[in-house]
Amino acid sequence: MPSKETRVELLQGTLDLIVLRALSTMGPQHAYGLAARLEQVADHPLSLNQGTLYPALVRLEQKGWIKGAWQTTENNREAKYYTITRAGARALESQTERWRRLAGLVDKLLLHES
Amino acid sequence: MSATVRRVVLRLRNALRPSAAEPDLTREIVSHLALLEDDYVSRGMTAEEARLAAKRAFGGVALAQDLHRDARSYAWLDDLRRDLQYAARTLRKSPGFTIVAVLTLALGIGGNTTIFSLIDALLLRWLPVRDAQQIVQIVASTLPYPVVEPLANQRDIFAGVFGYSGTSLNVGPPGAVERTPGAWVSGGYYDTLGLRPIAGRLLARDDDRPDAAPAAVITDAYWRRAFGRRPDVIGRTLAVEGVTVTIVGVSPPGFTGMSVGQTADITLPVAILPRVLPEQASLLNIGNWWLRVFARPNPGVTAGQAQARLAVVWPQLVNAIPTTRTNFIKMLLATRVEITAGGTGWSFLRQRFRQPLIVLMGAVGLVLLIACANVANLLLVRAAAREREIAVRLAIGASRGRIVRQLLAESLLLSIVGGAIGVAIAAVSSRLLVGLLSAGAADAIALDLAPDRRLLGFTSLVTLGTSILFGLAPALRGTAIGLTPALKQIAGRAGSSRAAVAPALVVFQVSLSLLLMAGAGLFVRTLQNLRQLDAGFQHDGVLLVNVDGRRAGHRGAALQTFYDELIAQVEPIPGVTSVSLSKNTPLNGSRWFERVIVDGKAVQSGNESTDFNAVAPRYFETMRIPLTAGREFTPRDTAAGPAVAIVDRAFVQRYFPNQQPIGRFVSYSGARVGPMEIVGVAASTRSRGLRQDAQPTVYVPFAQWEAGGATLEARVAGSLDEVATAIRTVLRPRLPQAALRVETFSAQVDAALLQERLLATLASGFGLLALVLAAVGLYGLLASMVTRRASEIGIRMALGARRAEVLWLVLRQSVRLTSVGIVCGLIAAVVVTRSVQGMLYGLSPVDPVTLLAVSLLFVLVAALASYVPARRATTVDPLVALRCE
Repeated sequence: MPSKETRVELLQGTLDLIVLRALSTMGPQHAYGLAARLEQVADHPLSLNQGTLYPALVRLEQKGWIKGAWQTTENNREAKYYTITRAGARALESQTERWRRLAGLVDKLLLHES
Repeated sequence: MSATVRRVVLRLRNALRPSAAEPDLTREIVSHLALLEDDYVSRGMTAEEARLAAKRAFGGVALAQDLHRDARSYAWLDDLRRDLQYAARTLRKSPGFTIVAVLTLALGIGGNTTIFSLIDALLLRWLPVRDAQQIVQIVASTLPYPVVEPLANQRDIFAGVFGYSGTSLNVGPPGAVERTPGAWVSGGYYDTLGLRPIAGRLLARDDDRPDAAPAAVITDAYWRRAFGRRPDVIGRTLAVEGVTVTIVGVSPPGFTGMSVGQTADITLPVAILPRVLPEQASLLNIGNWWLRVFARPNPGVTAGQAQARLAVVWPQLVNAIPTTRTNFIKMLLATRVEITAGGTGWSFLRQRFRQPLIVLMGAVGLVLLIACANVANLLLVRAAAREREIAVRLAIGASRGRIVRQLLAESLLLSIVGGAIGVAIAAVSSRLLVGLLSAGAADAIALDLAPDRRLLGFTSLVTLGTSILFGLAPALRGTAIGLTPALKQIAGRAGSSRAAVAPALVVFQVSLSLLLMAGAGLFVRTLQNLRQLDAGFQHDGVLLVNVDGRRAGHRGAALQTFYDELIAQVEPIPGVTSVSLSKNTPLNGSRWFERVIVDGKAVQSGNESTDFNAVAPRYFETMRIPLTAGREFTPRDTAAGPAVAIVDRAFVQRYFPNQQPIGRFVSYSGARVGPMEIVGVAASTRSRGLRQDAQPTVYVPFAQWEAGGATLEARVAGSLDEVATAIRTVLRPRLPQAALRVETFSAQVDAALLQERLLATLASGFGLLALVLAAVGLYGLLASMVTRRASEIGIRMALGARRAEVLWLVLRQSVRLTSVGIVCGLIAAVVVTRSVQGMLYGLSPVDPVTLLAVSLLFVLVAALASYVPARRATTVDPLVALRCE
């Protein structure tokens, strides 16, 4: 088990952004695919049980930003594949912009303080 | 934004169908775990290892399901729904309690909704026009027609200005004339209000010209009622006062004019009034102040700014009005230029009913409080019975908060059901109440009582507040129990905390209902005082008929002859004992007043004036106004004969104190005849209002006065209805242009007492309801006390207590509670009733007779309420009671 310091706690709301981004670059994905992608991208292991993806998925689906549909995988298993919608793409754009500005501000403040 | 809304809607939907999304989620989780296992197996794990690793990577399935539920719906709403379902099951198990509680709440909430719906409809509701909150009224009183157009020309202040006056029109062909409520409006009316027609067009400025073709707009309701919504109504004609008027359009549904309570079915431009009602053409002069003037200030101009700017241009505007009547210009210049909110229209009903409605709102609020106390008491009794159930649930680990929430859900359910029934009650009772208000009015009062957002908000708030008010204390009490005694089920020992609350509630109920009954008593006695008052005339057995010979085309001497003929035609009708005619009748709301001249000397200045009336022979006989000296007018007092007058006692006291009035002379400035010799003295009458002292009055012979419209009076021995029908039959051919109204004088007097009757009736109703609720509360408390103390009573009886002692044990409690309640109620009454002093007549707000009577009534009711439980206490079988221990 990785120690406490090296694990990254996800900020509230950032999971939604990450999921949107993953779907927009990788195309349709099921929940496991998304979880695998997150673990693969993160340099540090995320403190993420894969089950905790589900609230984010239902949130995004209810907002109309992603859509789920049952399909069959290459290994002939059934899985629910999520696709980003047009509204989702627009939301991703504005959320990314917001995130950048916020991150930039925090960065600046941290530099200034040190 | 739309994403947020979408999500809220979906979450709400999921909260209502809590498990609809479960199967899909389960399927997804199963698939997720299978994919994980496949992955681990492909990396070389055994099937069993892969299954465990997959579970570890996924984390708790139950946790994921919970988080999913929280995200997809609203957990609190879901919980509330569950609590309500549980509450519904529990309440169904005790139908007796549920029915009593729901009915109590329904009456309380229904009463409040009824009164509030009237307040809402009469005082608060915006008119259904564009941006009603922008509409203002110019000058609090009425204004003359010639000032409307100059006001409308103030384009830099107002986007639109119009004058409005409600009226009653005779509509239909001769012989089938119907009285139809209508309105006279100036040209800017519909444009200023921003209304669009649903058929044809609305009136515009060009219709408000003296030479315009007579055009009318009808309301949607009248279109439906009179024309069955036929589309070809546009271009059809109406006979209004015998004049042909073309219908040009229909106004939008819901809009019935500016006057709340007075529908205007037919709207006509003011400029055509001289052609429709030639005898009233003078209404368009500057001397007649009869139009309410409304306006819409320009965008960005507030009412305050509009007032300031108008005040600046007002003198110039008024001085520019072309007229020779400079005294009216002076009056206009002296008028306070005031701009007030006008978006709720205007209503004469407001002055009359605002205060009574507010008093009644207070009263019905108290009734609701008493109802709450009653239900709280019932809940306390129930909580005592459920102590064991609650103790068990606490013992097996339910948190107190959870149980309180569940008990509150029960209260909420009770008040929601009660509130729903209450709204249904209010829908009926508010209409009955408007019917009561309309009684005696010439035109029925039409109020829009359809529930609006404000009313629904009010009722929801009352319902919610009520459930917390009566539910919270019992829920907290019910859950604050020592576990051990409760579980051991020692009946009656654990309920000590309840014992402190319940009697306080009963005292509270008794004192509030005593207060209400005291108020009701004061209003009832006020009504009695006013009814028994010697008003100077006798109203029963008299029929009044409005007759206006000018409508049949008569003028001058011909008009006098016409009226003489009417009297001659009514006199021989069987049952009629005497007939007369007069300009005004007591309490008809109209006054004719002049500056009086006594023996050639002007005796009045400033605003002083004296009431006058023109009456035909036998007026005093018909109205039974006693003559204390001299004679009544006779047919010999003709226009050609010497001018005579009769004065009343109040006039004699004012102008001829300790002198002989007969043979002296009175006149008034501008009189057509010379000084009139006083030939008689009549008793004083309260003609302006029953509460107002009789005013000095001068009567002149009808024949010596320039006649206009009149009222014919007939005193009748026997059936009023039969004679009324006979009068209608005789007079209809003489007045084909008018809808003939034959009414009783008593109805006119009753209409003058409407406010008092409303208060007395409703306050008594609420008072009685409160009394019954308080009695039920007292009964319930004593009954449960007898049940709780059955074993104690049994022991006392076994030890030799006599019947009387046991009776006293119960009665003592009742006497104590009632007397404390009565004393508190009396104190409250002394403090509160002072605020309604202005509505009382002939008695003080701390009228000892009323307060004593009400206190005695409560003693009696308390005795009745305690009799049954006390009797039951004496029938406790000592053996049975002891065995229970």
